[in-house]
Amino acid sequence: MTGEKDTIVHIDNVTKRFGNVVAVDQLDMKIMAGEFVTFLGPSGCGKSTTLRMLGGFENPSEGRIVLDGVDVTSQPPNRRDVNMVFQDYALFPHMTVGQNVSFGLELKGKSRPEIERRMAELLDFLQLSGFRDRTPDQLSGGQRQRVALARALAPDPKLLLLDEPLGALDAKLRGQVQIELKDIQKRTGKTFFFVTHDQEEALTMSDRIVVMNAGRVEQSGTPEDLYFRPESRFVAEFIGETNLINGTVRGVEENAVVLDWNGLSVRGSGHGHRPAAGDNVTASLRLENVTCHNKKPANQNAVEGKVISKLFKGSRTSLDIRVGEREDSIIRAIWTLAMLPKLPMISSGLAGSRNV
Amino acid sequence: MTRNTRILMSVIYWAFIVYLFVPLALMVTMGFKDSKFIGFPIRSWTLDWYAAVIQDTQVLSVFGYSMTIAIATTILSLIIGTWVAVFLGPNQFRGKAIIFALACLPAVIPGIISAIALRIFARLIDIEPGMFAIILGHTVHNVPFVALVVMARLSTQPKSHIEAARDLGADSIVAFFRVTLPYLKPALIGAGIFCMLLSFDDFVRAFFLGGYQPTLPVLIFAKLRSGMSPEINAISTIVLIMTAILGLWAERSMRRLNKGS
Amino acid sequence: MTFWGALLQNGAYQAVANTLFKSQRRQFWILASLPLFWIFFANLGPIVEMFWIGFLDSYPPKVGHEPQFTLANWAAFFQDRVFIIPFFRTLAFSFIFTAITLLITYPVAYFLAKHVSRKNQLLFLLLLLIPFWVGEIVRTYAIMILLGNNGAVNLALKSLGLIDRPIPFMYTGFSLGVGIIYLTALYMLLPLYSALEKLPDNYLEAAADLGAGAWTRFRRITLPLSKEGIASGCTLVFLISTGYYATPVLLGGPRSTVFAETIAGFFHVAGD
Ligand SMILES: Nc1ncnc2c1ncn2[C@@H]1O[C@H](COP(=O)(O)OP(=O)(O)OP(=O)(O)O)[C@@H](O)[C@H]1O
Ligand SMILES: [Mg+2]
Repeated sequence: MTGEKDTIVHIDNVTKRFGNVVAVDQLDMKIMAGEFVTFLGPSGCGKSTTLRMLGGFENPSEGRIVLDGVDVTSQPPNRRDVNMVFQDYALFPHMTVGQNVSFGLELKGKSRPEIERRMAELLDFLQLSGFRDRTPDQLSGGQRQRVALARALAPDPKLLLLDEPLGALDAKLRGQVQIELKDIQKRTGKTFFFVTHDQEEALTMSDRIVVMNAGRVEQSGTPEDLYFRPESRFVAEFIGETNLINGTVRGVEENAVVLDWNGLSVRGSGHGHRPAAGDNVTASLRLENVTCHNKKPANQNAVEGKVISKLFKGSRTSLDIRVGEREDSIIRAIWTLAMLPKLPMISSGLAGSRNV
Repeated sequence: MTRNTRILMSVIYWAFIVYLFVPLALMVTMGFKDSKFIGFPIRSWTLDWYAAVIQDTQVLSVFGYSMTIAIATTILSLIIGTWVAVFLGPNQFRGKAIIFALACLPAVIPGIISAIALRIFARLIDIEPGMFAIILGHTVHNVPFVALVVMARLSTQPKSHIEAARDLGADSIVAFFRVTLPYLKPALIGAGIFCMLLSFDDFVRAFFLGGYQPTLPVLIFAKLRSGMSPEINAISTIVLIMTAILGLWAERSMRRLNKGS
Repeated sequence: MTFWGALLQNGAYQAVANTLFKSQRRQFWILASLPLFWIFFANLGPIVEMFWIGFLDSYPPKVGHEPQFTLANWAAFFQDRVFIIPFFRTLAFSFIFTAITLLITYPVAYFLAKHVSRKNQLLFLLLLLIPFWVGEIVRTYAIMILLGNNGAVNLALKSLGLIDRPIPFMYTGFSLGVGIIYLTALYMLLPLYSALEKLPDNYLEAAADLGAGAWTRFRRITLPLSKEGIASGCTLVFLISTGYYATPVLLGGPRSTVFAETIAGFFHVAGD
């Protein structure tokens, strides 16, 4: 068996072209055994294509795919120890749940009793025992999703691929299945390669998120990394809601970068970046990091502002606040009970910043 | 649409239905007439003609002969037609449109031309007129129908079904037999029954490709040329009933195509 | 082990499969083999052979005589009245029958597609389909009974007092037409129905809204949008109706000999 930190998959400088379209552009990354990796990115950025190359459904135009030390680049899907949960589940409509789950075991040449045992075990594990003799059209969406998962887990693959498997579920069920899925991954210790364009889903489940844009990796890291320390404007905007502040560097202190933003002075963490004075940079200021006070506190980052609009969004309310003199100096903040809605208001915050 | 045109159209529809059914109804009726003479008026009824048909060994052997041809044709047409569909459906290649058109050709060639061309061709490749030649002729005619029905069904199968099978360890042959073929089942039943009907009812190909042994339609034709008789009505009625049963069965299985995934 | 598992794990099978699936290209040609063979051999072969024979000076081949290439057969065909008259008569008949079929079936298809509720459409369509499952000969015979001197039509006309002596319908162009249309109407009906069924109701409603009368709506919207159905229906009916042999023999008369009968006659003598 491979250890906890062994590389299970190496995507070695892979490029995929469809005619003139470059779907995946020189992708190079490693996936560790037991990891829950999520590919996140906007529609058409090449997530599915990467996944399908891992599964063997597309051949890379350039580069290699190494699975557990073996180059499988030109192997067809049936020769790879990789299984997939399809977006539409692709359950065989003419087979029962039990037959669907046994399918992969059967083709591996397992004996009848062994197939039976493993199938029963999986159905039990995924709470599907009662549905064994039903056909897929007699199941609910969530149940079908679990059958697809059981079927893909049955042959004991080295890597499990999941292409937006929750896309067909309604919002409420999706939240519940997200937790279940993460739990199953933990308990089986399997390596999950998950694709989604829903950033919340990615943040909830993943050990590591890979943000893709136009065939390339923008940033790869833990959910916290990506949320609090985005390395590019794209990542900052794609994950969560944020205020982007375009300013000029006034000076660099020990743990902070001081920006000049439309005449206001803003201090923020540089996260290792030490831009030179006079550089134009963009800083990201998360909504929840903006706090509002009635009186201007004795804080270096405090600025005065005026609420110009209020947006009610159910669990929270966001405020658009104009700070300073200029029309376009607007900051969005989350309304909390601690804040008072009186005018004028003062906002303060801590910004993460990065060169642009 | 105004009320009047609507009424007019429904009248035309029902008149058309009458046009379709009355001749067949008359034919059935005449089979029970107690007289050798076909036509009105009918004075008394009998089942004698049916009794005669059932005891007529020639009719029975011809019936068996036609049935054999129909079954053989159906099996061959299903295999070749499905293969053509699986080849032409998902694959993209240059000249596909031409190949597709050629594949459908026999369905639109006038029957007599196709029958004579096949007769000449059978001579060229040394096939004696007879059962085998008829089966070949019928299969040529039926393959396009099977291919079209199967292609239509195939186009509704999600690509992911085959990918899932491949993912779980099937090569393309096993994936076809385990996943695609079961998915095609209703289409194959429908197309198969349709082939049986086409083959069993066909006259012109059987007439030109057959040897001394006639098929059922050829026998009816021969009997008709020597005059109408209620015995022909009885035979025709039996054929009619069988056809209708087979047809309704085909219809039902094709209907199921629209339902279920 | 199950059958498919055993097959996939079987060494001999694996060896065969490995050679078969070696490359995408090879897989493609293996899949293409039977269809291409069938299409070129069985579909195209007979037609090509027939045309080829049309250029030979003798057929079937005689002993001691190499067939020579010639255009004489085609010249003879276009000069000999025995060929050319039935040939053009067939075309004319088929043309007329096709037109009549279109006129009769269009309202039927329209009624079915637009005035019958979704739920009943299949039933009404089935009603139309049933007679078409019955073979050529049986249906031709049914028409013979219908139109005979003692047939139902003559009987009805007589009992209504419209005629004294039966009208000789049989063995004329009329009886042939009734028969051919009876055989081919479905091939017109189905394309028309599927074209009309796809036509959204709201087009007509929109047109009516704009003040178009029934006739204008039909001419400007329904007709152009069902053009494809009309075209394919007419092509099918035309082609198929030229190909009947038994029906003209049984229903047609001496003055309505069609091409099929002529070539069949010649075929039995020589085989050209
Ligand atoms: N079979 C194909 N032929 C041609 N182009 C393709 C094919 N598959 C994908 N592409 C193109 O490759 C690019 C990446 O597609 P891909 O399916 O990987 O996107 P994605 O990130 O999964 O998007 P989504 O979130 O919408 O699923 C797109 O521009 C797409 O149009
Ligand atoms: Mg995708």
